[in-house]
Amino acid sequence: MTEPLIEVRDIHVRFRGRKGTIARAVDGVDLEVRPGEVLALVGESGCGKTTLARTILGLERPAQGEVRFRGVPIDYDNASLRRFRRQVQMIFQDPNGSLNPRQTIYEAVAEGLRIQKVEGNEVARVADALSRAGLRPPERFMPLYPYEVSGGQRQRVVIAGAMVLQPELLVADEPVSSLDASVRGEILQLMLHLVQDTGIAILVVTHDLGLAWNIADRIAVMYLGRIVEQGTTEELLDDPRHPYTRALLSVVPEVERMHPEILQGEAPDPTRIPIGCRFHPRCPLVASGETARLGIEERCTGEDPSLHAVGGAVAASVHAAACHAVALALR
Amino acid sequence: MSAEPQVAAPLLSVRDLHVTYRSQGGGVPAVRGVSFDLAAGETLGLAGESGCGKSTMAGALLRLLPQGTTVTGEVLLDGEDVLTMKPGRLRAVRWTEASIVFQGALHTLNPVHRIGRQMAEPIEVHDAGISSGEQRRRVEELLGVVGLPAGRADDYPHQLSGGQRQRVLIALALACNPRLLIADEPTTALDVMVQAQVLQLLEDLQQELGLAVIFITHDLSTLSTACRRLAVMYAGRIVEDGPSREVFREAAHPYTRALSAAFPVIGDMRFRLNPSGLGGDPPDPREIPPGCPFHPRCPVAESRCATEAVELWPTSRPGHTAACVRVLGADA
Repeated sequence: MTEPLIEVRDIHVRFRGRKGTIARAVDGVDLEVRPGEVLALVGESGCGKTTLARTILGLERPAQGEVRFRGVPIDYDNASLRRFRRQVQMIFQDPNGSLNPRQTIYEAVAEGLRIQKVEGNEVARVADALSRAGLRPPERFMPLYPYEVSGGQRQRVVIAGAMVLQPELLVADEPVSSLDASVRGEILQLMLHLVQDTGIAILVVTHDLGLAWNIADRIAVMYLGRIVEQGTTEELLDDPRHPYTRALLSVVPEVERMHPEILQGEAPDPTRIPIGCRFHPRCPLVASGETARLGIEERCTGEDPSLHAVGGAVAASVHAAACHAVALALR
Repeated sequence: MSAEPQVAAPLLSVRDLHVTYRSQGGGVPAVRGVSFDLAAGETLGLAGESGCGKSTMAGALLRLLPQGTTVTGEVLLDGEDVLTMKPGRLRAVRWTEASIVFQGALHTLNPVHRIGRQMAEPIEVHDAGISSGEQRRRVEELLGVVGLPAGRADDYPHQLSGGQRQRVLIALALACNPRLLIADEPTTALDVMVQAQVLQLLEDLQQELGLAVIFITHDLSTLSTACRRLAVMYAGRIVEDGPSREVFREAAHPYTRALSAAFPVIGDMRFRLNPSGLGGDPPDPREIPPGCPFHPRCPVAESRCATEAVELWPTSRPGHTAACVRVLGADA
């Protein structure tokens, strides 16, 4: 098996809130990103997915646990971080916020090369990155300003700016959610082509399960700072096991084979993570009395479940869910 | 002309609506001839990409557009033309006949007033003689309708979550028992699960109160489940209109097909590792291409598409129209 590109080991990230409360944004996560794969990190806002992505990028320092890149823990001194960022690049959801309106497209893409003090032919590298991002001929786009191109092209410029350093991992936080539907597909196609052509790995952070079906090899579902289910895209979307994943999937408008399971209440609060299974206050299995019938109610409200292999374990990916009911059914 | 079965006079009848914004370089035509009917209690989804004119049209229906905007055509609400109403009558019609919920609940509510105070305002305006006790009762009733506890009336907007604020806006829109609710991207800024809650609420209200709803969003897949009927706009015009499942999954217009394909069906292998998009951009409203406005991006355009004007023609299926010359061919 190939060595993972990124290994996250029992990461905890905490933020201090007002009145001394502590938000456990990431609360014990293990995760791997392998070379050349597209991994989707899925969850509601506030589940910690963006914080986890930022921690993988070295932008947040974990209170506990470590992030390893090619087997070596990230070093948090400035010089090491700068070298690390050459390998790991990020794109955000709103291209308008990521581009300086006073910079030409050439300057925007070349900026990373200058920060990293990359030697060699800058113009050729920028031209190559623009072409890869589908902005052809690159010479035509170089002198333009962001406002002179469309929203989809702006997101391509952002992607070119990330690709110019030839990183090994691209972290994309909701890369298409601010784009129009017809443009969305084009950007996703571009991301798939980049994986095929350059062998880059992509960690895509999204709330959109349809996007995951479109481009991801694997999915990790996050709830209140913890990964509650993971597996290959097919395993997870054809056969979701965790009641939270099932609920998320059931409210996708196009999934007709499932009865919509609309969870009530708002996204939960990371300053007050429930004891026991963190999902139990919203869990449909608890609400319907199913867990009581199974005789596991006390476990759900008292014991924090860990990820259990669901079976059909393929060496490359273990479909696993953190749910007492799932664990019981497997026994 | 509508190909729908003839029913009693529609609640809303929009006829040849044109909206042109004033700008430095001359007029910008945002809506270019839209006509449709909406029956009482009917739900219509209006889809399209940014800049297609869908929000402008919604604003025009209640005359909420900036001064200096030219609006022509007819917007008949119960037979009465909103566009030529006197201001006093228009004020009465807004809220009591038709009301609108905008996207971005965060910015619509006044941060310095309690929820109850803001909700009482339209009630007071339309029923000056109402006692304060009766007013309070009505506010609490409305909060109940949208699934919020009565005590929320004493909260300020910042004390509510995004989903709760969106519920307050819907309650506000219902304050004077309108018969038509226009919801412009009501769930766009919300989280998936909260979005599902708000959609469920709108559906329940529509059924319980017999509301007619125009639901505007770029999200075609949401509309296809939330509305019976679906209209798709492109470059200021409706290009397809019909039963929503049919429009979404068996579209007659190539634009609708491209847009639908952008919403993958989970579990369907055709979409697996195969995202689908549409090249190019929507046209600049100042330079609408001649012929069919979609032809420069259309994957199946023919030479006549660049010159021949298109209009909403009936397809072979009842109540389904599309503005594409291929529909005519299929019919023959």
